[in-house]
Amino acid sequence: MATIEQLIEDASNDMLNPEHNFKIAKEYEVIGQTAAAMSFYLRTAEYGFDSHPLLVYASLIRISYCVADQSGREHTLENSLFQAIQYMPNRPEAYFILSRYYERNQKWQQCYMFAELGLLHTSIFELLEVDVEYYGRYCLEFEKAVSAWWIGRKDESKSIFNDLLGKDLSEEYISAIKYNLSIMG
Amino acid sequence: MNLVQRAVENGGKLAPLVIKKGLSKGTGLMNPSIFIDDDGDILVNLRHVNYSLYHAEKDMKFPSAWGPLAYLHPEKDMNLRTYNYLCRLDKDLNITDYCLVDTESLDVSPLWEFVGLEDARVVKWNNKYYLIGVRRDTTTNGQGRMEYSEIDLDKKNWTAKEISRIRIPTLGKDDSYCEKNWYPIIDKPYHFIKWTSPTEIVKALPTNPPNIEQLSLKNTFNVGIDQRGGSQMIPWNDYYISISHEVNLWNNYLNQKNGIYRHKLCVWDKDYNLIGLSPESFSFLDAYIEFCAGVAKLEDDLLITFGFSDNAAFVLKVTNTIVEEMIQEAVVYGNN
Repeated sequence: MATIEQLIEDASNDMLNPEHNFKIAKEYEVIGQTAAAMSFYLRTAEYGFDSHPLLVYASLIRISYCVADQSGREHTLENSLFQAIQYMPNRPEAYFILSRYYERNQKWQQCYMFAELGLLHTSIFELLEVDVEYYGRYCLEFEKAVSAWWIGRKDESKSIFNDLLGKDLSEEYISAIKYNLSIMG
Repeated sequence: MNLVQRAVENGGKLAPLVIKKGLSKGTGLMNPSIFIDDDGDILVNLRHVNYSLYHAEKDMKFPSAWGPLAYLHPEKDMNLRTYNYLCRLDKDLNITDYCLVDTESLDVSPLWEFVGLEDARVVKWNNKYYLIGVRRDTTTNGQGRMEYSEIDLDKKNWTAKEISRIRIPTLGKDDSYCEKNWYPIIDKPYHFIKWTSPTEIVKALPTNPPNIEQLSLKNTFNVGIDQRGGSQMIPWNDYYISISHEVNLWNNYLNQKNGIYRHKLCVWDKDYNLIGLSPESFSFLDAYIEFCAGVAKLEDDLLITFGFSDNAAFVLKVTNTIVEEMIQEAVVYGNN
């Protein structure tokens, strides 16, 4: 794998190229320098707006991860995900990440709303060039089920969890669902 | 062509300057300043800040919640804090040692939001290490003054402790708002180029109280856009050289200040007369905001340290051949 030094030296004659900026951003994120990563993701988004839509979308999502890692900058985190949705409203990933963010902050109505909105857009499942932790429709269904419990939709919540157990899910989700069902009564 | 491209295509090298995430917390590492010590050690002061600069370039399609240009400090702490790490590099420009400069014994409660010594240049004068930068946290309106921060550097254990702090007043009534980016003349203790054009040289002794005097004020050729300070000034064969910056400022659609920073090589004769200037300003890596705070001569080559968008830091090796080309270009421009 190329180092940051190699990536930038190779890109130095074409620093406005979104693909170069995206690769550099990913490497900075890997080593935990999220401020630098954010800069290069943002450059990817700005310079790729018309030419590299999937990189733009992925960059806006990864900016939210960078900001989350620094903590205490929640408006920017939300803003980046709102922009991802606004840029590509027919993809599910940003809805999911927002829904999960609200779940983790116990904002149940927002969590439910973004899960529901995301579920309207799950027909597209084309992997992005970077992992954004969205692995399929079931991720959104899980968020919907969790939040449903907290906004008075107990039966709906249990029903979704039970349906999910019959599907092909990651082990992490299966154990979370089993735990939730065990304490729901 | 940006300078990194010109340098690496001609035998140069770029190296990112990064310290462990556990120390930086991922926020900005920026505006490093380099210095070659008497024993050959390559020292770098690396500025770490508690914020990340959000800067939407080009068409500003994706502004932050606060606009296209925003300091992303913690939302419950509006202070923009600077910490300095003193680093040692090997000959391949990798960081081998680093430590936070311990300022605790001299710190006082800040009175303004920009906290700490910013964009500190490394010098060693009369066997004392100094970080010389601007501090803006001692008044309630952010008045900036250059400060000497004397450092006790223990190279064996690699620790750095600030042992004195002296704020340099300006000449006369000391009533200007913000003094920053003076070029320290690396081989002339306590001397600075305060302004590039006209060239104002001052001598500021780090005494208590500090003493400052203007040594000269000389007109130069027409430099066009105002050239502001940046690096130290270092001897280079028959000349001195330094790197200045210029800023093209405008207001964005939210009437926020926005700008593009570009740099030029300044060439000086041995009497500190400006005799050359890059005919065209250059970028390092084509970001809007870049800043050079250090240059040093390593063997025959030039090392330049610069910050990228306030979020990343680099050292660039430029070979002697390219530096000489740049000097000649600058001198020709100065002669015309």
